[in-house]
Amino acid sequence: MNNLKIKKTSIRWVVALKEEAQIILEYFKLKAVDEKTIYPIYKNEEETHWLIISGIGRSNASASTAYLYLYSKASKCTSWINVGIVGSDKGNYGDLFLVDKISTDQGKKSTYPSTMPKTSLPKMHLYTSDIPITDYSTHELIDMEGSAFFDIASKLTSKEFICLIKVISDGPKNSIKEITKSKISNLIKDNLTKIIDVVSYYERLSEEEFQIKEKPKLFYDITSKWHFTATQSYKLETLLRRVEVFCNKRDLKEIIKSCETSNSVINVLNSKIKKNIVNWSKF
Amino acid sequence: MIETIYVEKAIKNHPRTKLILEKFKKSRIISINKYGEIFNKRNQNFRIQKTNPCLILAYKKDSFVLPAPKGFGIGSSNNFYFSHMYNCIYDCRYCFLQGMYSSANYVVFVNFEDFDNAIKKTIKNNNGSKITFFSGYDCDSLALENVTGFAKHILSFFKTYSQIEIEFRTKSIQKEPFLSMKPMQNVILAYSLMPELMSNSLDNKAPSISKRIRVISELASKGWKIGLRFDPLIFGQNWKELYRELLENIFKNITPNNLHSVSFGSLRFPKKMFKNIFKLYPKEPLFTSPFSLNNKMISYDIEIEEEMTSFCKNLSLKYINEDQIFKCSI
Ligand code: SF4
Repeated sequence: MNNLKIKKTSIRWVVALKEEAQIILEYFKLKAVDEKTIYPIYKNEEETHWLIISGIGRSNASASTAYLYLYSKASKCTSWINVGIVGSDKGNYGDLFLVDKISTDQGKKSTYPSTMPKTSLPKMHLYTSDIPITDYSTHELIDMEGSAFFDIASKLTSKEFICLIKVISDGPKNSIKEITKSKISNLIKDNLTKIIDVVSYYERLSEEEFQIKEKPKLFYDITSKWHFTATQSYKLETLLRRVEVFCNKRDLKEIIKSCETSNSVINVLNSKIKKNIVNWSKF
Repeated sequence: MIETIYVEKAIKNHPRTKLILEKFKKSRIISINKYGEIFNKRNQNFRIQKTNPCLILAYKKDSFVLPAPKGFGIGSSNNFYFSHMYNCIYDCRYCFLQGMYSSANYVVFVNFEDFDNAIKKTIKNNNGSKITFFSGYDCDSLALENVTGFAKHILSFFKTYSQIEIEFRTKSIQKEPFLSMKPMQNVILAYSLMPELMSNSLDNKAPSISKRIRVISELASKGWKIGLRFDPLIFGQNWKELYRELLENIFKNITPNNLHSVSFGSLRFPKKMFKNIFKLYPKEPLFTSPFSLNNKMISYDIEIEEEMTSFCKNLSLKYINEDQIFKCSI
């Protein structure tokens, strides 16, 4: 994992249409990246939010998700959000849903995204089809990208960091033929507060995970001073994590100051642990 | 509150499924084919799931009863275990389940009768030898009793096998179904304990030690046989005073006649499991202690282990006989 480059809050958006993305780009102040890319990519100045316009369909969703991962150097701590419109006869025009089960017309097994806990937002099952569907009766929500996005994103991170947010745009009472660009933009805009709420949960999640995974700061100081093999680096990282719980950074620096080799650094840390007797009244 | 319950299609009409779902009227029910679709998937984050676990109701197909690992017993020549559930509602930082499973969701198997049949078969196959069954190896045997009713079910089964021992290992203060039944001499209610100070930091979400002791005392006074499981023994400052205080407090509160056994086990993890758990909680004070690797197991340095075990054993000998003391060494 390329820790140095990971931003503490790390969100990646995969959105099929520019109109769906419009209000998100504005709200999070995302600008198109400078270079020419296969799919349009936007990011904010801090590079904590990145968004890709995937285009319609499963292949585009898979390819763009993988592309964004590589292009933006996403990490295991990154949260992935897919926002888009769906067809449904189980809810009303403009209703927003989180997705907790996905099936496809590919005959593949269903998949089960986690959803954010303790939310009042309603949840539904998503059916991802390769062709537009106007018979809404057999499924809850219908789209053309969700399953592909989830399949790829769940290879890139744990499923707790993936979220699908869907807004109903068409159904028996709102023909798919009547969807316009401005209607799409408005559907997402009208749900922006809810979307921000959901995304802030994923920002927190990603930050917490980052803090757990982050290498101890001293690790970089030490490895720049002494040469460590890969095995020694792993040992050093583990020892530092353990020692840092009961020993402050300044004291640690002091005790390894006089070490001459990487091995002696490891030995010093090891003996620090050997002598540690946990004071349980502190925890 | 369990927000989401996954139910295997095959058992959606099982009476026990219906009974359990009745208790979660507000939960979202999602139909699945096999529990493995949710539970066994890689790329899940145990730590995050643990903050809001889902329940999975499933049908167990095989491996209902398994031989207990060597070093798990309390005196019988043949030891077996069964688990009607995977995972636990508590979150003990040393729990091996967090290093074993990729998911923190609870799996409950509803086909209890298949457990009965497998136990019957095991008893028959081991006719003549002393057998002990352990409930709650992959879970806490009683913690979710008010949802599953498994203990109540299996107790009635063991009523007809009064010569066969069954141990429920738990940190729960669940008194039912025991208080509403006559004590059974072949049942051991085994409580895991450690000094309150350590438990406060390590036994997350589990009932406090003082509450556990109150329940132990009450059940013992009603005639139920009690097992005391000091497993794992936790090292730290003043450990001798803390364990002395704990042991004296317990022995003072239990009718000696109803004390079945005491066992001690050191803190230990298979190497790979330790790695997994450490990755989840690298800032835990538990992992700052001096550990060493012996036979692919990570544990306290051997001198610490031996000193702790013999100290606690010697203290216990003031109250119980040597043949009631066991060492848990898996
Ligand atoms: S009570 Fe037992 S099974 Fe439950 S978390 Fe604690 S150690 Fe694990």
